[in-house]
Amino acid sequence: METALKESKCITTEEFLINMGPQHPSTHGVLYLELKLDGEVALGCTVHLGYLHRGMEKIAESRTLTQFIPFTDRLDYIASMNNNLAFVLAAEKLLGLEVNARAKYIRVVIAELNRIASHLLGIGCFAQDLGAFATPLFYCFRDREKIVDIFNELCGNRLTYNYMRIGGVQFDFTKEIEIKIKEFIKYMSNKVNDYEWLLSGNVIFLARTKNVGVLLKEVAINYGVTGPNLRASGVKWDLRKDEPYSGYENFQFDIPTGINGDSWDRYKVKLEEIKESLKIIEQAIGALPEGDPTVKAGRQHKLPVGEAYMRSENPRGELGFYIAGDGSFNPYRLKIRPPSFSNLSVIAELVKGCKIADVVCILGSLDIVMGEIDR
Amino acid sequence: MVKFLDIIFNTGIGVALLGFISASAMFLIWWERKVSAWIQNRFGPMRVGWHGLLQPIADAVKLLLKENISPASADKLVWWLAPFFAVVPAVMAFICMPFDKNLIARDLNTGVLFMIAITSICVFGIFMAGWGSNNKYSLLSAMRAVAQIISYEIPLTLSVLTVLMFANSLSMQDIVRAQSKYWFIVYPNLTIAFIIYIISATAEVNRAPFDISEAESELVAGFHTEYSGMKFAMFFIGEYTNFFIISAIAATLFLGGWQGPFLPPVVWFLLKTYAIVFLLMWVRWTFPRVRVDQLMAFAWKVLTPIAFVNLLIAGLFLIKTR
Amino acid sequence: MKKYFQNIAIGALSLIKGLVVTFKNIFCPKITLQYPSERQSMAERFRGLVDLRVNKCIVCSQCVRICPTACLSLSAKLTEEKKKALESFKYNMELCCFCGLCEQVCPVSAVYLNKIYEVASFNRQDLYIDLLNPEKYVKFVNPAVK
Repeated sequence: METALKESKCITTEEFLINMGPQHPSTHGVLYLELKLDGEVALGCTVHLGYLHRGMEKIAESRTLTQFIPFTDRLDYIASMNNNLAFVLAAEKLLGLEVNARAKYIRVVIAELNRIASHLLGIGCFAQDLGAFATPLFYCFRDREKIVDIFNELCGNRLTYNYMRIGGVQFDFTKEIEIKIKEFIKYMSNKVNDYEWLLSGNVIFLARTKNVGVLLKEVAINYGVTGPNLRASGVKWDLRKDEPYSGYENFQFDIPTGINGDSWDRYKVKLEEIKESLKIIEQAIGALPEGDPTVKAGRQHKLPVGEAYMRSENPRGELGFYIAGDGSFNPYRLKIRPPSFSNLSVIAELVKGCKIADVVCILGSLDIVMGEIDR
Repeated sequence: MVKFLDIIFNTGIGVALLGFISASAMFLIWWERKVSAWIQNRFGPMRVGWHGLLQPIADAVKLLLKENISPASADKLVWWLAPFFAVVPAVMAFICMPFDKNLIARDLNTGVLFMIAITSICVFGIFMAGWGSNNKYSLLSAMRAVAQIISYEIPLTLSVLTVLMFANSLSMQDIVRAQSKYWFIVYPNLTIAFIIYIISATAEVNRAPFDISEAESELVAGFHTEYSGMKFAMFFIGEYTNFFIISAIAATLFLGGWQGPFLPPVVWFLLKTYAIVFLLMWVRWTFPRVRVDQLMAFAWKVLTPIAFVNLLIAGLFLIKTR
Repeated sequence: MKKYFQNIAIGALSLIKGLVVTFKNIFCPKITLQYPSERQSMAERFRGLVDLRVNKCIVCSQCVRICPTACLSLSAKLTEEKKKALESFKYNMELCCFCGLCEQVCPVSAVYLNKIYEVASFNRQDLYIDLLNPEKYVKFVNPAVK
């Protein structure tokens, strides 16, 4: 007995480090997590960034404002329209431009469509990370494809739209596009039930997500977490309601919030936001004002000496653009405040004591895009 | 002379079985790809052959031509042996698989026991692969696989035991013959046993939702991360052969094996097997993966107790009726 | 004890619900295309490669100025009637981000974006394109389409 005990003391366990990424199936791009593991349990993680750094902010200093719009597409490449919108809003604020009513409504429709597309992708990838191999992802892609087709018809590209213009938009809606959007609203309202049946109620899905990666309200606020992740923690904060821009004050919609702030709530908030976005689109497309929303791209804007910061509600949270002008055509300084960066920074708090599978689950539920984190 | 003929005869059986196994593994790979594609509103393979039927052969040729890369710091012997441990037991399990009244390599009088014993050797292959690769992901996967397969062996064996009590024999053919009147699945006890068997068999062959050992989104590819070329293909063939075996055992033990009206017995056997195969594929492409601790809890807290109670009730039922 | 079985029953029901969704989808029409033989028709405004209607160009260089990645470059010469004419018009596809700004600023719609979207090449030189060459995009048009 004693010798057995002695021998058992010789058997020691030790923690080990595992490199998750930059090449890994579920790190959503080129994220590198250095996980400290004790068997299956994660004790902590270090995040290494910068694999997708392209120097966006420096690039902006040698471009005119119009020229920089295509670059904003490449920040959060899943929600390009929202990035475009945030940037042109900031530019308009700096230049003191007024946008006509139709352009505002079109921007809202487009931004909400892209929000749906982005949330669909978020849900699909989240389910994929949980191991529902490809099927929910494909359904989400199928439905997202309808939105992408609308955008393709509207502005001629499927991912990097470059649609918003300073002072308006690039193209007006045609009748066909309006009909297509209306059809999509009907289609999507039915399809949401499929997700409820396939994922929301599923006992395995619930077991995997409930009480996994609980993000407390205070922690979320301290880290600057925004968007669905913040709302899942129970904070009712949505810039569309609290600081309306681009005519959001004209529409009736709710802000879905979670209770516990776990992965399940983050998923559920996204799914509910899809329904709310459909409501907004329905209202906006039904009441499109008359007018000409288009703006010539060739118009050059001389930036006044001064600065402007404008934030807007991206699918992933609060996207802010700070532009400082010095009287020339190019911004003196442009700073981007990406939502995913703050959302990702909280991961070290969340993964402590989780299983490896939960790390993937938390990462998926935070729904980050590396394009805007590294910029 | 008689002995010589015997050897030739046995070799013939072996070759025929090997042929069937590779053909069935290839068909299953194609079928899996097709089912997943249909579920996901896709076409699946369509180019090679009729509706991509020859796609697995093209893939096999590609894998044969690929370079065998072995990690520099791998435990070479263990690493090289692992794929064989994955395939050989799977092939051996076919020895007492009753395709027809007479179409069986050897009707062992302990057939079921042999099957269960031989199919659980696969875990060695997985552990050797994970250990030998000298890769942290592979090692984690191997440890998961061992824990999983050993725990699920218990409910699996208990559910099979229920069948054995009804059939009063360990021989596969006797079990099939015992179902000449009714398939075993019609008895309530055995319906529960069937469900337990299907769940634990899915875990036994590492298929989703219990595929934690090759959890793609967590462990990249798990134990076969470091394998390439034909070695990887051997794991693949082993996996699909095991998949066929557990479906075939389910068809034999619960659905009456080769018995059925009108059609030839072999066709019945394959039909029932592929029905179960389809069911498991359908499940795989629908559900998320369970977590490793939930998996173990499910085996020990849900499946094993129910299997035990089920066995007890089946015993009482049999005592009462006899 | 009752709760134990209740949980199992609820769980099983939820799993069956999921299976129903996927089973229904087996019989839904397929949404993918058999790519090289079937193709999606590109939208009217689709932004493919930059192309030039040579005789329309008035050499105003607005496209060169607006291009965010400076992938266009042109040089002009004077004709005998003292008019500006194109001498060369180079397009560096490597840099192009297909934003379509050049098309939008062109006052005579000489620069436009065509519908070619299969632009892979084994040779980097293929991506430096002389827009004045009428056969510049022949190599990118898939023979299967013709």
